Amino acid sequence: MKKLINVFLLSALMILLLAACSNDEASKEKQETEDGKVVLSGLITKHPLTKDLADMEWLQEVEDRAGVEIKWEEVTADWDQKKGAMLAGGDIPDILIGPNVITDADFAKFTGLFEDLAPLIEDHGPNIQAMFEQQPDTKVLATQDDGAIFGLPKYQRFWPQTATMQFINKQWLDNLGLEVPTNWDELFEVLMAFKEEDANGNGDPNDEIPMDFSPVGTGGFGFFQPSVLLGSTGITITGGGGQGYFLEDGEVKNFFVDERYKEVVAFLNKLYSNGLINQEVFTQDYTKYQSVARGSGKDATVGYTYGWESMDRFGLNVSDQYVSFAPMKKSADYNGEISWSYDYNSLNYGVNMVALSSGASDKEAAMKFINELYNPEVSLQVLFGSLGPNIEKADDGSYKILPPKDEEMDPGTWKWTSTWADNGPMFISDELQVELGTDMQAVGAQQEPFDKAFETLDKENDVFPGMFLKYSDADNNQMSLINTDFMNLAMAKFSEWVTEGGIEEQWGGYVKEVEAIGLQTNLDIIQGYYDDYKSNH
Amino acid sequence: MAVSEMNSSLSEQKSKSTYKKPNIFNTFKRDHQLWIMILPAIICVIIFNYIPMYGIQLAFREYDFTAGLTGGEWVGLQYFEQFIKSHMFTDLIRNTLVISITTIVVGFPAPIILALLVNQIRWKRGKRILQTTVYLPHFISIVVLVGLLNVLLSPNTGLIGLLIAKMGFEGTNLLASTTAFVPVYVLSDIWQHVGWNSIIYLAALSSVDPQLYDAAKIDGANRWQIIRNVEIPAIIPTIIILLILNMGTVISTGFEKIFLMQNSLNLPISEVIETYVYKIGIISNQFSYAAAIGLFNTLINFTLLVIVNSIAKRVAKISLW
Amino acid sequence: MTSITMNRIKNKKASDLIFDAFVFGLCIIIFFVIAYPLYFIVIASVSDPTLVSTGKVFLFPQGFSFFGYEEIFKDARIWIGYRNTLFYAVVGTFINLLFTLPAAYVLSRQEFRARRFLMFFFVFTMFFNGGLIPTYLLMKDLSLIDTPWVFIFNPLTVNVFNLIITRTFFESNIPNEMYEAATIDGCSHFKFFSKIVLPLSKAVISVIGLYYLVWHWNDFFTGLIYIRNYDLQPLQIVLRDILLSNQVFAEGAGSGGTGGGYAQRYADQIKYGVIIVSSLPILILYPFIQKYFEKGVLIGSVKG
Repeated sequence: MKKLINVFLLSALMILLLAACSNDEASKEKQETEDGKVVLSGLITKHPLTKDLADMEWLQEVEDRAGVEIKWEEVTADWDQKKGAMLAGGDIPDILIGPNVITDADFAKFTGLFEDLAPLIEDHGPNIQAMFEQQPDTKVLATQDDGAIFGLPKYQRFWPQTATMQFINKQWLDNLGLEVPTNWDELFEVLMAFKEEDANGNGDPNDEIPMDFSPVGTGGFGFFQPSVLLGSTGITITGGGGQGYFLEDGEVKNFFVDERYKEVVAFLNKLYSNGLINQEVFTQDYTKYQSVARGSGKDATVGYTYGWESMDRFGLNVSDQYVSFAPMKKSADYNGEISWSYDYNSLNYGVNMVALSSGASDKEAAMKFINELYNPEVSLQVLFGSLGPNIEKADDGSYKILPPKDEEMDPGTWKWTSTWADNGPMFISDELQVELGTDMQAVGAQQEPFDKAFETLDKENDVFPGMFLKYSDADNNQMSLINTDFMNLAMAKFSEWVTEGGIEEQWGGYVKEVEAIGLQTNLDIIQGYYDDYKSNH
Repeated sequence: MAVSEMNSSLSEQKSKSTYKKPNIFNTFKRDHQLWIMILPAIICVIIFNYIPMYGIQLAFREYDFTAGLTGGEWVGLQYFEQFIKSHMFTDLIRNTLVISITTIVVGFPAPIILALLVNQIRWKRGKRILQTTVYLPHFISIVVLVGLLNVLLSPNTGLIGLLIAKMGFEGTNLLASTTAFVPVYVLSDIWQHVGWNSIIYLAALSSVDPQLYDAAKIDGANRWQIIRNVEIPAIIPTIIILLILNMGTVISTGFEKIFLMQNSLNLPISEVIETYVYKIGIISNQFSYAAAIGLFNTLINFTLLVIVNSIAKRVAKISLW
Repeated sequence: MTSITMNRIKNKKASDLIFDAFVFGLCIIIFFVIAYPLYFIVIASVSDPTLVSTGKVFLFPQGFSFFGYEEIFKDARIWIGYRNTLFYAVVGTFINLLFTLPAAYVLSRQEFRARRFLMFFFVFTMFFNGGLIPTYLLMKDLSLIDTPWVFIFNPLTVNVFNLIITRTFFESNIPNEMYEAATIDGCSHFKFFSKIVLPLSKAVISVIGLYYLVWHWNDFFTGLIYIRNYDLQPLQIVLRDILLSNQVFAEGAGSGGTGGGYAQRYADQIKYGVIIVSSLPILILYPFIQKYFEKGVLIGSVKG
């Protein structure tokens, strides 16, 4: 027995040592396949819907043309957590692809881990040079303070100027003999009518939710949230509002301490306290937000709300009841500017879509591959899928995006399933002739009321160019610390004021507290970077 | 204890004429079998737990990738100071303590009571069904648990939400209020883990000598007296050990559940140290700051553990070490 | 023993009857409070998710469909995930017990002089750790990254909590006299441990084994951080990917697509289905373990 246990314990130790010593470290020498292709490793943070990379026809062709064979690691979730350990361990693949896959802060923190692409682009990147020439903004997005290029951007051209559109149920308005509201007071009247009366005509006057918006997070505002009403007071927000930074006449400001924000919150409180906003608006999740608006049968449930596109927002049964409509004024006698959330930049450009490891075995081959991705025809396939199943090329050189093969599927899902879609690096040249799918056409049509609002927008001085500013590591750290505390206070107060009121009495103290957290420091930092950007632009 | 020690040393060292106070070295030969048995665990812990501990110094250094974990510039207590002086500090500590202490006070006795209760059931089938049922919720992932809470507590459509409204709390949204957050958090926690946590007590109860039960019954003890005099004493060592370990987590709350339950309405009460560290550490890559806050937590927890342990040692003669 | 109990039951006192009624009532309440949400998960996994989230599902499934399960099981990766997790859980738990039980025994021996120091040595690691990055670097140096071994040898191979529980159990249930008696028969620690301590400790071994097993079963982090080859990923990672691929535009369609409606509709059904698929095997296990902590089973069996 004694022997047996000794053997047992020894074997346990052996396993431990064996496991510890099995050495299979990959060598960083150049590897080639039998037919002379360079073997590289790649990582992509793709959308969970996206099919295996091995099944993408266009990608195989691109790899062939660049003379490489890439072993892909496909990441669909939790990239942030995975990335930290991977970078700190210095354990990265040759090519990394994905939306902001490696951030500017990472490049600054992990110096030497990534290759400066600038010289490689000179020698092996004609398509990338072409992009920089045709869309100079892409070069700004790519270039760090010191002129180095670690990550390459994308330009996808077709996306609209705002992600958040407002919709109102036109059928309800017609049922009740009302007009589409043009200012907040009219909106209030309309919502009151939705609430009091049986707007959807199903006999139950209490099943209508007059207004609903997407759940507001704790880290700032995003798409489909009522922060867009700031537009009624003349503030142009970007990306739904984010942490509140906006630009007005070339000056960086933050709306969370702006009197006009106070007006919006007070108005929302007026709506909420009259029972006009969904009672669960702060606690529901996005799924519920979407489900509720789909109504039951042919009866719609929601009167006024925000979404990306009516079919996506309201589903097949009730979407034809809704219309998108132009941004409202805050009051009938308001004569100032009216604006909305201007998202063109964040929807059409993306930073750091591809990066190259400085330890890559064959950088030239890798660069050739990256360059291929920016070929206009390849880029179109990165976005919409392969020529053949997803895109048709006509004899005159124009392209047509084909409808989904699976009839049950909508064009958006089809796109995300077939290819890298918006997660890939690409340059959709303005010279390409493309006929878009039905989904994008619908978005285009519904955008019209908003396009008008943006016609008078001074994009130079009133749109905050957030993504074009490249902060240093230290500034970035300082700002994100302040923003964390700031958002904790501001978002909690926002929802408290909307649901319980009290903004009038608390406003002064709140502004002081925000100042104590250090908002001014952030505004100064951003203003400095903005001025630099402006003078170089 | 002293007697048994004498006995065992006598039995193995009968030949030795001179008595030496036993210590690690002169008992090594006698106890070499014990050393062999514990060696794998020691090696394992040294390799996987102690070797990486050099990373603790990150709390006192700037993180510098090129110089490695131990090569960054030494900044001393800067990050600790930054945390203590931070705007959120008092709120974070208060919220964390409220949540974890409530969890301990309400959540700790629950599995003990459940185990004693289950132990009273005589109907074997019923007992097994109950036992298996209460054990199931443990396997629900936190994402689903929070999803479930959202569905059931919804004031307009959820079963519990509607019940609350029926009971006269019309218009209360349990998911949205700062007062309901802690009760909802703690009660759902108990719901999820009470069965699982009672397993260890059931195991301890199973080892009660049946003769003790019989003796008590012959003495005319009623059921309540049996619980008090036979069953509770049997699980007291486990209770105390678990209580000590629980005290060592006073300044830690789980991360994921709170994070998922957070919304802007309950934020004033639901922002705790761990969610804050997540926001600054993972999202904005502040390795050193996150490490410093982590170490700050650890020190408080560990100190508390040591204090509680020494109290337990004095009062109940039970100690972790 | 049973005969005595039987007699006692017949001579029940009134207070005991009240007591029993109280116990019964309380148990019924507990049963329903805990069971209903579980039942809800089951019916939600086969109901139309829109009806679930708008509160139309209470007692019976609405809009019945197996779409969620079809979606889960049509993914071939799930079987690889099951296979891997089974392997990691079984081998891992075996190694865990192999390391933990002897150590716990040693730490329960009062005469072992290094006992207090070693307890402190172990408990210390429950609190202080180097963090993810140094652990990752260690795993890299040991070449454990992207191997199945990382699931088995990691900082939780010896879980100190389990070690303490086991030690406490040994201390309070293995009387010292037993060892003394055994040594007189010339019994070594090895023999005493394997022939007497282990058979007497089935209750705690099954509990600790269950703890380890369930930990391995639910372990998601190890796969996330240390595994890059998808063929080695455990079930939890696979299920999460299936879930996510159906949750598509949860952050808002503005991320670029217009779709969502199609896949989003079923995301919740899959969410509930995933829970059932992932935990069923481990639920089945419980009744087998349960019998080891029936009242009195152990001592009786040893003495008999």
